[in-house]
Formats: sequence, C-alpha cells, structure tokens
Amino acid sequence: MALREPSRIDLLQGTLDLLILRTLLTGPAHGHAIAKHIQRTSEDLLQVETGSLYPALHRLEAKGLIAASWELSDKGKRARYYRLTPAGRKQLAAEQSKWQAFSRAMGLILQEAQ
Amino acid sequence: MTSFFRKLSWWARRRSREAELEEEIRFHLEEETGQRQAEGLPQNEAHQAARRDLGNIGRVQEDTRATWGWTWVERLLQDLRYALRNMRKAPGFTATAAVSLALGIGACTAIFTVVNSVLLRPLPYPEPGRLVRLWETNPKQGFARNVVNPWNFLDWRERTHSFEGVAAFQSGPANLAGQGEPVAVPAMQVSPAFFSILGVAPLIGRTFTADEETPGRERSVVLSYGLWQTRFGGDRAALGKRILLFSAPATIVGVMPATFSWPDSKPELWVPLPLDRDPGGRSGRFLQVVGRMKPGVDVKRADQELKNVAAQLAGQDPDLDKGWSAEVIPMLQDTTHSVRTALLVLLAAVGFLLLIACANVANLFLMRSSDRASEIALREALGAPRLRIFRQFLTESLVVSLLAAAIGVVAGYAGMQAMLALLPESVALPRMGSIGLDGRVLAVAIAASVLTAVLFGLVPMIHSGRLASRSAFRTRARSASNRLRRVFVSVQIALALVLLIGAGLLTRSFARLISVQPGFAIEHELAMGMFPSPIILNPRERSQYFEKILAEIRNVPGVEAASSIHFLPLEENFSGSCFSPPTDPLPPPTAQPGAQFLVVGPGYFTTTGLRIEDGREFTDRDRFGTPSAIIVNRAFVRRYYPGENPIGKKLVVCWTLPNPAVIVGIAGDARQTELGAAPEPTIFVPNLQAPSFFATLVIRTRTEPDQLAQAVVAAIHRVNSNQAVSNVRTLKQVFNDSVGRPRFQVLLMLIFAGVALLLAAIGVYGVVSYSVAQRTPEIGIRVAVGATRGDIARLVLQEGLLLAAIGAGAGLAGALVMNRFLRALLYETAPTDSTVFAAACGLLLVVAAIAIAIPLRRATRVDPIAALRHE
Repeated sequence: MALREPSRIDLLQGTLDLLILRTLLTGPAHGHAIAKHIQRTSEDLLQVETGSLYPALHRLEAKGLIAASWELSDKGKRARYYRLTPAGRKQLAAEQSKWQAFSRAMGLILQEAQ
Repeated sequence: MTSFFRKLSWWARRRSREAELEEEIRFHLEEETGQRQAEGLPQNEAHQAARRDLGNIGRVQEDTRATWGWTWVERLLQDLRYALRNMRKAPGFTATAAVSLALGIGACTAIFTVVNSVLLRPLPYPEPGRLVRLWETNPKQGFARNVVNPWNFLDWRERTHSFEGVAAFQSGPANLAGQGEPVAVPAMQVSPAFFSILGVAPLIGRTFTADEETPGRERSVVLSYGLWQTRFGGDRAALGKRILLFSAPATIVGVMPATFSWPDSKPELWVPLPLDRDPGGRSGRFLQVVGRMKPGVDVKRADQELKNVAAQLAGQDPDLDKGWSAEVIPMLQDTTHSVRTALLVLLAAVGFLLLIACANVANLFLMRSSDRASEIALREALGAPRLRIFRQFLTESLVVSLLAAAIGVVAGYAGMQAMLALLPESVALPRMGSIGLDGRVLAVAIAASVLTAVLFGLVPMIHSGRLASRSAFRTRARSASNRLRRVFVSVQIALALVLLIGAGLLTRSFARLISVQPGFAIEHELAMGMFPSPIILNPRERSQYFEKILAEIRNVPGVEAASSIHFLPLEENFSGSCFSPPTDPLPPPTAQPGAQFLVVGPGYFTTTGLRIEDGREFTDRDRFGTPSAIIVNRAFVRRYYPGENPIGKKLVVCWTLPNPAVIVGIAGDARQTELGAAPEPTIFVPNLQAPSFFATLVIRTRTEPDQLAQAVVAAIHRVNSNQAVSNVRTLKQVFNDSVGRPRFQVLLMLIFAGVALLLAAIGVYGVVSYSVAQRTPEIGIRVAVGATRGDIARLVLQEGLLLAAIGAGAGLAGALVMNRFLRALLYETAPTDSTVFAAACGLLLVVAAIAIAIPLRRATRVDPIAALRHE
C-alpha cells in the first residue's frame, strides 16, 4: 500500500465510530441527522466535527458495518440513508461492553485519586 | 475477499461515487442551512455558517475518498502522469539522468552477470556444497594446489573418514579411431567412483564399476551426449559397440546426459583410470582429486583430517613425502580461483561507476528541486500534505531509474556477451558457458535501480524539507543545496580518479607484460599436439616413431625446421624433476634440489629460435646408445653453478633417462608457464633418449604458418593414417591467448574508467553551469560596477577547480587505499606507481577544465543590463 498521510479524524476515530453505530441502532438516518442526534443526546457536550463525520461513515460502510441507500427525506429530498448491518450490530455490542469496561476502570481510578 | 470485491465494484463505479459524495455533502449543507434559518438567521448567513461548520469541503471529500481504499492507485496514476509530464517538459534533464544511470546499471549488470555465473551460481551437481578438491602441498617450496601422487591418493582414500568418496582423474586428449577420420577428443581418465561422487547418473547404460580400476583390463568408455550425437548419431545401439582408443579396443558402456558438464574443460569421453600400488607409481605427482564430504562434515574438519593423514605418510615414506602436506578446497572456490580477484576488482569498479552515476542524477534532481522550490511552497500552501509531495518526487525518480534499468540491463547484457566473444576460447573463463541472465541478476539490477531511485529521490526531498516553505517564495536561499551538490561532485571526481588510476595501473602492467621477450620466436611457428596411436610402451620404438614423423614433416615444402617439446611454453604447463651430482650414494629424492624439465626433440632450439648461449644443441646423434646429454638454461646455471662453466659436468636426473647425463649446452632463459612468470632453472632432456608419451610438434615455416597446417597433418597421416592430432595453433596465437585475460581486464577497466570520467565531467559541467545561471544577476552587478572578464572568469574557475582539486585529493587518498587490492593483478608495476598517479590526475584535471570551460564562456558574456532586468 502506498504511503497514507495521517488523517484529521484519527483521534476521534474509535469513539466517533461507536457513536455512529449506537445512533443507527434506533433506525436508519442520513449524515446530518446522525450528527444532530449525537449532539442532542449528549446534551450538546459532544460536537461532531462534520469534517470527520463523512469519512467515518464511508469507512464504516467500506468495513461492511453499515449500509447506505438513497431515499427521500422527510422534506422530500434525496438523501443518503445509513443503517446498521448485522455485522455492525455485533461490532456495536462488542465495542459497547469494551467502552463500558474502560469507562468503569477510568472512573474507579479517578475516584480513588480523589 | 468480499471486501476486495466490494472495493473492486466501487472502483468500477468511481465516477458515480464522486457525484454521489458531492450530492451527499450538498444535502448536508442544505439541511444545516435550513436548520440555522429555522433558528432565525437570514438565508445567506445561514449558508455561510453551515459552510464554516463543515470546514474545507475539498478536504472532507478527499478524506472520505481515502476511505474507499483505492485512492493510492489513483494517486499513483496521478503521480505517474505528473512525472511523465514533467519528464516530457525537460527532455534534456530526463535524457541526461536516464543515460547516466543506464550506464551505471548497465555496467553493473554486465559484470554481475559474469560474477553470478562464474563465482556465485552453484556447481551443476546435487548438493554441490559438499564437493571438494584435494591437493598436495609443499609449504617449504611454496607449492600449493599440487597434483597428487598415485600411492598417496590410494592412502588418502583408505585412511580418511570425512568423505563419502574420493576420485582421482587425469585430463588429456584421447585418440579415437575406427569410424571415419581419426580424431583427438578431450577426455578424462577417472576413478570408478567419479560419477557417483558428482551425483550424476548416465542417460543410458552405466558408468564404471569398482573393479575396472585394475590395470590391464580392456577399457570401458562413457561418452558425452555431444560425442554420442555427432559420432554415433544418438543411436542407442552404440551401447556395447567396440571402438578404437589409441588403437586399442574399448567398449562403450554408457552415455552421460547433455546437461552433464565439467567446470573448466569439455571432456567428450571418460575411461577408467587404472590404479594400483605399482612400484612405478612411487614417484611423480600427476593426479587430480575430487571428493564429496559426508553430510555434516565441514571443509575445515576434512582439511585437518587430510593433513593428519599426509603427516603420517610423510613419516612412513620420507623418500616420497618428506616436506609434503595436503589441502582440501571447496570445489567451487577451486574452480574459480584463477579469476576470482580479477572479477571482484571489476565488480568494485562498476560499483564505483554506479555511485558516480547516482551522484549525477541526485545532483540533477537537486537542481530541479531548487528550481521547483516555489512550486512546492505554493502547493504546500494550498494544502498538499508534505508526504504527498515527497511521494511525487519519489515517483519521478523511480520512473527515471526504472527506465534506466531497462536500458541498462539490455545494453549491459548485450555488451557483456559481445565482450566475452572477444575472449579467445582457450582462455575462456571457467564456467563461462553458463553465463546468462537469471532471476538473481534481474533482481540485483532492479534492486540497484530502486535503491538508487530512493537515494537520489530522497536527497532533494530531505533538502527541500529543510527549506522553510514560506521563505522559498521570497528569497533564493539555496546555499545548502549548493553545498550538497558540491559534495556530490567532489565525491564523483574522487571515485572517477580511483577508477582512472586503477585502469592506468593495469594498463601499464599490461604494457610491461606484452613487452616481455618470451625468449623464442612467435612468428612463423606452427604447433600441434600428438599422442602416439596406438600407445607405444617401448621407449626406443616411441622415439623412432617421433623421429619418423618429424622426418616426414621436414620434407613438406615450406617447412624450414621441425621438432617437438612435451609441454609448449605459455600454456601454463610445466614438469618438475629432482636431480643431483653423481655422488655415491645418491641422496634420497626428497633431499635433492628440483628443477623444471622439458623433453625436446633434436633441433628444437633452432626451430624455435631459443638461443644456445654456450655449447651445442641436441642433434639426432643424441639417441639411445649414446651417452645421455642434457642442456640447462641460464637460470639453472645462475642458481646451481654461479660463476662456473657447467658444460661437461655430469648430473643424475630423476626423470627416466640413462644416467648420469652430461651437460652439453647452455640455453638462454625463456618464459615457460606464462609470460609474467620469471624463468625457472630448467633442464632440457632429448626426446630421442627419454621420449615422452606425447609431444607438441613445433614447425618453423617459411610462409604464414596456418597455411601449412593441412600439409603437415597430411604428412603425419602418410606415416600413420590412424594418428590423430589435436589443437593446431600458431605460436603467435599461443602468445596472444596467454595474455588474453589481462587484455580483457584492461579493456574493461579502460571502458569503465572512461565512462566514469565522462559522468564526472557531466557532473562538474552541470554544477558549474547551474551555479553560473544562478549567479547571473550577481555577475551582472559585478560587471556593471567594473569587473573585467578576467575577474569573472577567475570567479567561475575558482569554484570549478576547487571542486576538482578537493575531489582529486580525496581520490588520490582513496586510490592509495583501494589499489593494493590490485597488487595480485599487476605485473612489475607498483600499486603506487607515481607516473600513473600523475597521469591520471592530469587527465582528470584537463577533463574537468574542459567541463568548466563551457559555463565559463557563458559567464564572461553576461550582459549586465539583461541580467538585471531578468531579476
């Protein structure tokens, strides 16, 4: 493979992927809706960088974790809708438990430090 | 796999994917704009905010495309297109770079092809690493790789345990008759185990059985595939056929496969070597030995064991073995020992050449990258990642170097084949028949070109990395790159000088070698080999046979004189014998002094022009029944009779001669083994008193010698129609062939040094003219404020000559270090020969001056107004 320059989304990658998968668990959505949903449900704590959103969506699609199709939006415009694949569902479950273990561990350590 | 196909299908719909991505992002923007409008912003502000939020759209698209996984192919194609466009735009640059590199890679391919085929490729037998050669040595007298005594061979075979088997063999012509014209074909007498040791089975029939070693049996013959085809039409019925070998019947028992070969000769048939503990075998060393070590035994252990056995033998049989030891040498190394140093020197030379070419190309790329510094800065400012730009440089240099590799490999291979064709067959390199391109050569060529591409592609990258991108817009701070270029050119000059000095030393050595007087005439002399057929065991009858043949030859019109010698000079053959004054008792043979000896016919000295300085030469009166006569050479007198006249003195010579013999004459010194070997003390023995089993006939002709060859052969056939002759050649050919290898090497070194000089000149020219072009405004100002043409010329000269001088200094130092590896190849020439050093330096400086002259002319003609306006 040729050289690949470091991409701006590297730092967010793992978490953003997880957030996207989790969002799609509630049903198919287009990119903008996904971003807004993450923002809303995190009580605006998480601002999704749109610049990283689309590369992440396409990467997940390339991995076969999500699938995309063109559908009409609620306003009647053509939009690209993403939905979870079975593989994506499995991945989400795995990532979720990993993430919970991680945050529990972090929490324990930080509490102890207090 | 599925992911691969998914990618593949995406690749197919790449265009529509692009459009879709654009639409997807447009939709996102519209949604965001709509949402912000809903929050109360006016439409255009909402749109602005949405754009800001998304960031650089091109970048988002680029990052997204990157996840599709095919971008690298696209980018490669893009880079390639870009590289090709750049190359087309600068054809001079491309051509110079490609040709420089092609020369370097071509020379490397040429020499590495030979090195690979001759030195590296394994011998064509199964498990060749276990094959070794066994030799006697005599450390005290300085004999290494000495042929072996039959009794010693038998003892080695019985007492060593390191070997699966050892086999003795002897090479020489065999006279084949009974079917058509009698011919002498190259043949080998071999111990029965010979073939099984090499691990090669016959194509049809069998090889030899152990009991065929016993002397006195009718011989079996194994044919080469070639002889089977030409002489027997490839007919299976040849098996069991009886043929005449030296007029004695022998039975064909097998044929070897076409692929079977022996590394340094082309035997056409094999016969068993008769071997037992015959008392006659107690003296003399003449066998060659090959062995296969048992699995797990290494050469060191086998060598040690053989040395131990040799030491036992020296203790048991001091008359035969006192002072003698033995050695085991890996067969591949043994086969190539005569050419190893020369080939490695040539390989080093082409390595230097490749480095010089690389420096040239690196410099060219460096200049271009300086010229393109603002372009790079601009592209970086527009957001091109640095790595991407680097990769583009690398692609460009790879394209150039692969182009050069393609040209170089083809040209180098063809060139080497043409050069090898110049080598006379008799001095062919060992294993030369197998020289050819193979995967390894191609791999090395490709690796060399990729490596060089990375090297000279990286240099400008690293360098441009150092340039602050913004400063490139404004200033032309290029001093760093100028320094690097100067270093490269100095290194080039240094390497070229090392090569030039090496080539000069070899040339001087070669000139000295061919001006050596061999001591005999080489014009109007014809020679041919003859092994009496049938073999005549009775010495007196043998001498009469030779006499009859010589008499018939002397009657051929155009023949001035004819005689014989057992080993012709300058063909690397000689015999040794011990001798002693006739004391009673005689000292044992190992305690006697040794000398070379040559068995010559009557009139040999007249025939070859070898001078008799005192006394007389052999005549046909020196024959059986008269007192034995010998002639010694000047070197012999110097060593054993300093200040005395030895004529009339008696000597006992170990070689079978009715003893004692009287010294009847003193011959001048002549070169025997090779032109470069100083004359050794030599005893000449008359063929009519101690006839050899074979002879080389030497004929002095009135006209061109090769015109008489047929008439001479016809004369021999008048005496015996079954008598084959071999290897008809003129002494002129013998002389030329004997210097064939050094001539070949000198030729190659001169070519390489010439190319190196040319490349270095291009390097100097490039750097100086580039610097003149860069300094044109400065020169313009200098001229405007009153500098004369002389001042400007001095400025440019200073720069150029300083480079040349630094390079030359480093080169001289390098040559002093490197050229001692040449010592083994030099004849009467010191590796520090000051004439050669001075001449090479002079030549280099002249060439450098010419390379500087062109930009110098340009610099002195700078028009200050035009120069300043340009800025």
